[in-house]
Amino acid sequence: MLTAILCVLALGYVITRVAIGYPDPRRHYRRLGRGEVALISSAAEAMYPAGGPIPASGLDADLPDYIERLMTASGLQTRMLLHLLFFLVEHGTLVFPTSGRGGMRRFSAQDIEHRVAALDGWAESTLFTRRLVFTSLRAVLTMGYFAHPPVVRRLGLAPLAIEAPICEADLLYPRIGEKPESIRWTAEDLTPPSAGIPLPQDGTLHPGFAEAES
Amino acid sequence: MSSVEAGQVRVYAQYDADLTLETDVVVVGSGPTGSVVAKELTDAGKSVVLVEEGPPFVPDEYEFDGGLSMARTMREGGLRTTSGTIMPTMQAIALGGGSLVNSAICTRAPAFVLDRWCGDFELERTTRADLDPHYEAVAKFLGIAVTPENVLGRRNLLFREGCDALGFHSEPIYRNVRGCRGSGECFTGCRSRAKQSMDISYIPAALRGGARLLTSVRIERVLSEGWRATGVAGRVVKPFTGNPSHHVRIHAKLVVLAAGCTATPVLLQKSGNLANRSGQVGENLQFHPGVAIMGIFPDLVNPRFGATQGYQSRHFLREGFKLETLWAPPAITAVRLPGSGMALKNRLSDIPYSAIWDGIASCNRSLGRVRVRRRSMDPILSWKLHPADVPVLAQALWVLAQIFFAAGARTIVPGVHGIAPELHSLEEAEVLRDRPIRATDLVLAGNHVFCTTRMHGDARLGVVDEMGRCHDFENLYIADTGIFPQCPAVNPMWTAMALAHRSAQQIAQQI
Repeated sequence: MLTAILCVLALGYVITRVAIGYPDPRRHYRRLGRGEVALISSAAEAMYPAGGPIPASGLDADLPDYIERLMTASGLQTRMLLHLLFFLVEHGTLVFPTSGRGGMRRFSAQDIEHRVAALDGWAESTLFTRRLVFTSLRAVLTMGYFAHPPVVRRLGLAPLAIEAPICEADLLYPRIGEKPESIRWTAEDLTPPSAGIPLPQDGTLHPGFAEAES
Repeated sequence: MSSVEAGQVRVYAQYDADLTLETDVVVVGSGPTGSVVAKELTDAGKSVVLVEEGPPFVPDEYEFDGGLSMARTMREGGLRTTSGTIMPTMQAIALGGGSLVNSAICTRAPAFVLDRWCGDFELERTTRADLDPHYEAVAKFLGIAVTPENVLGRRNLLFREGCDALGFHSEPIYRNVRGCRGSGECFTGCRSRAKQSMDISYIPAALRGGARLLTSVRIERVLSEGWRATGVAGRVVKPFTGNPSHHVRIHAKLVVLAAGCTATPVLLQKSGNLANRSGQVGENLQFHPGVAIMGIFPDLVNPRFGATQGYQSRHFLREGFKLETLWAPPAITAVRLPGSGMALKNRLSDIPYSAIWDGIASCNRSLGRVRVRRRSMDPILSWKLHPADVPVLAQALWVLAQIFFAAGARTIVPGVHGIAPELHSLEEAEVLRDRPIRATDLVLAGNHVFCTTRMHGDARLGVVDEMGRCHDFENLYIADTGIFPQCPAVNPMWTAMALAHRSAQQIAQQI
């Protein structure tokens, strides 16, 4: 009887911890659960807080939206690995709690000081696998952070506008998913190849990264 | 549409039924080696079908973002790793293969390496003198040339300054690039169309010669009867998801596998362990594992400008490593930086003042294996960094640190676990020389892959002979870096293309 009660309590704890109490996300995500959206946002805020030399924060960069796009572009195996990664970080605090009150709460429910401490714990762990989890999380979040145009603009790393020469290959290959009939170029559209003129360091930004477009 | 005319390209949207073709030669894989074989054989008047699993990419489909770019152009979304020693390794899935997303480095294998290959693997015609005509032929077609000074950018020039100060030989890198503008975008696709990736160079030439190109077709089996290959069979697959649809079967007088060092052994094993009387298919897996250091300089470097990898040092080749400059999409660069929170943001703001240089090591003692995965054509890669090779990588890091400080860096970020995240002087950096480093302390990457179908003069010890022909099958060739008997100590693309060029000449005479 006691065993049954303990099992029920444990099950209740697991359900509460894994599935209940997450806030409603601002929009519907096809690839991400509510818990994952909360985890990504809270990790983004801890990894890239507001202020400092780059004003945009991880929250400003809307990383759940980026990761949704990344997962949509990825195969099943990659998506599974990302789900696993988010699960490990969100619930790893149960196995590797941070010190102080609330250190065993799931990651996204912790205050920011605990979240930063939790991330540092993963980063500096003597366990290679734990460091690997941190590196993977930071890689995904950093890629999303840098996909936010104000970040790369601030660092002077935004891509420049480059007019691609029209070459023979452009008459051969349509865009992915389209038929050759959609190719808009003909032999008359071919342009001279690149003359090797270095890009100007103060050149015009790619439209996707220009100030007005962001 | 159930036929494909000479010179035509077939893309995913066009497949509406099963497809069966007849040809002289079918080439599986459109990377640097498969493309060379296809072009050379069409020039020789042969009928060729070139098959590629990935789609063609046009410039407005290139992603600037490193993550999305890898998810679209790399197998397993760019998340492929080895087990044993965990190391990421990327193989492209796109028309043109790795040439679409590599930095176009062309370096001939050193004579001493090729001599060692000949001596240790019973090869008779694979010295530098034997290969030089083939290197030249490839160079002439692609316009392989030294990176011009005006597109090197400060990131590359600082490397030269550091090497000069220390008396280390260094040089601008030869690349298959015409008209480089120094955009630093090699890894996500060259919008300037300057990089002569296979999709804009060899493949259009092969099509002009009458080759037929099937994209989005995954070959799953080599067909054979007795000791002869008779063709290949596979499925049309949807770009990015890999979902299969129509069946494709190509009957050929001769089959060339150029699917890549990790894919070709899987294909052979899935075809009934074909061409494997030696037991060497999938064995001997080797890499050039790489390590890198970021250096922060007092003045603006503007690292995004300049050839992606424009300078190198082969000074330490005989000691087992080669040094290069490096630039990657900003997010990939930023991933190297340690820490989190405001400390990380402060470090990010150093990126405009930074340069990254890397070392790749010849780890001939570090071996692994390619095995098949059930219900998948993706490989299982197991590989272990040999303890004796770890000091070679540590030495590469120590030399890089010296070059950084000689070039005027104020800080380096070594990225080695157990060592301070930032080192501010050469004296502090001596920890890289003095402290024992374990394999798991290093952040490794291994994108040059070799030896899984190695050449050997003795049919009991290798899969192919030195012309790339399988010992067991006179009409089955392999033409990717899997045939290297050992790692070549330098970037392998040009050597693989030279070997493929030589194989094509033999094939043209054979059929």
